[in-house]
Amino acid sequence: MWSSTNTVCKSRKSPRSLRVGSLVLSASLVCLAAMGYAQDADLRAPSAAVAGTANSIVTTGNGTATFYLIGPSVAFKREVRLGQEISLTAKDLQNAGKYLAIVCTGSCQSVGFFAAPAKPVSLTFLVHPSRAPVGQNDMISGVALPFDEFHNLVIVPETVDFQLTAKDSAAVSRRVTTQDGIAWFHTSSGRAAGPLQVAASLNDIDVSVRRVVQQVASDPCSLHIKGQRTPKGIVVETEPVRDCTGNPVPDGTVVTFTARDGNETDTVDAPIKQGVARAQLAASGPVVISAASGVVMGNELRLGPQ
Amino acid sequence: MMDRSHSGRVTALIAIALIALLAPRDSFSADSTPQVVLNTSKAAPRSVESLTERAILRDYKFAWANLDQALESNSTAPLSGLFAGTASAWLNDAVTSQQRNGISSRYLKQIHQLEAVFYAPEGDLIELHDTAEYDLQILDGSKTIHDEHVVVRYVVLMTPGADRWVIRQLQAVPEF
Repeated sequence: MWSSTNTVCKSRKSPRSLRVGSLVLSASLVCLAAMGYAQDADLRAPSAAVAGTANSIVTTGNGTATFYLIGPSVAFKREVRLGQEISLTAKDLQNAGKYLAIVCTGSCQSVGFFAAPAKPVSLTFLVHPSRAPVGQNDMISGVALPFDEFHNLVIVPETVDFQLTAKDSAAVSRRVTTQDGIAWFHTSSGRAAGPLQVAASLNDIDVSVRRVVQQVASDPCSLHIKGQRTPKGIVVETEPVRDCTGNPVPDGTVVTFTARDGNETDTVDAPIKQGVARAQLAASGPVVISAASGVVMGNELRLGPQ
Repeated sequence: MMDRSHSGRVTALIAIALIALLAPRDSFSADSTPQVVLNTSKAAPRSVESLTERAILRDYKFAWANLDQALESNSTAPLSGLFAGTASAWLNDAVTSQQRNGISSRYLKQIHQLEAVFYAPEGDLIELHDTAEYDLQILDGSKTIHDEHVVVRYVVLMTPGADRWVIRQLQAVPEF
């Protein structure tokens, strides 16, 4: 989990300097004095550092040195005394990831260590789609990611409970263990239109996030039309349009009426209003009227001449 | 006429000297472009479309080049548009913190082995594992205080933006 390296400032005490004349020795002593009699430091990284928890780095040696901490969102330096512990505050270590501690006297020593994410306290929960047609396979999906209070992604496995509750039906639960910080599910949409509550919660922790998917009627299942002549033409309308599970198709869904009068064809697009689509067609002779919506064709209506 | 011709030669010599001076810098820039390889064969539950793969590769490479630039020059400008959310906040804090303390960092000779491990069913989130290799240099002013070749593993979350993929989480981990 940690490593120690003796880095770039290579001007460490050389044994050769002991063999040179008194001038060099004096110079060395002056150098040592300038460094505050500092000895090369040895660093020991914090064991099992956790984001947002204060920790410390053990040093050996004596004298003063410059300490640097380089992390995911920090980079600072301060003077420290060797031989004493260098304390790191909770704020210094609040982001999970790799940290590098460097101590420089004449030379620099460094040690790297990782801070692990803290306990999860929140969930990011993505649910799609916001509106789902009923009766569709694997239509609804959800992705949950646990984060700690410092927005670190919690990588260790956590159990996420997904609960799906639709009106007038029993709740369905799924328990999923996160893998690499992610838990997900997908499921088919229900048979009845209406809101579907989708919740994700972390076990043992009072964290729950809710989303709502509006389940809407699927495409029309069948079309039945009826019509009659009026002084202004032919008025046709559908019976209430429903999907294959009996849900009224949403208002605004377009039904196309087509009237064939000999070689002439008249087409009218009419939106469904309160479950029914209506249109007025102009034809005086014998006419065959049909209706279509999406991929569904309705019955044919034959009317004689006016 | 003689004077003009002489000054022309001097100008040409200066130009050649400038080119010669700039050439090593240019070749250094080419070397410093991150090398990124992306493997999407293990992406699940959705497979990564080839256009998406190319976009992720392009944007991830660009993001790391700019991360290096931001931390070397202590400027947050290169970070904008490529990082979002937590990753953006952390890197902006890192730059500000470096700037305040007179520290800078360089990420040289970057090689990234990316592997897509999760691609959301709706295509709105991808998790990548990056085994990154680079020479990390840390400087206090002009003095190099750390110079090490490192291998760092990152868990990366990216989401699609309007015209690119952005990094939302860039979290180093000891192992995958």
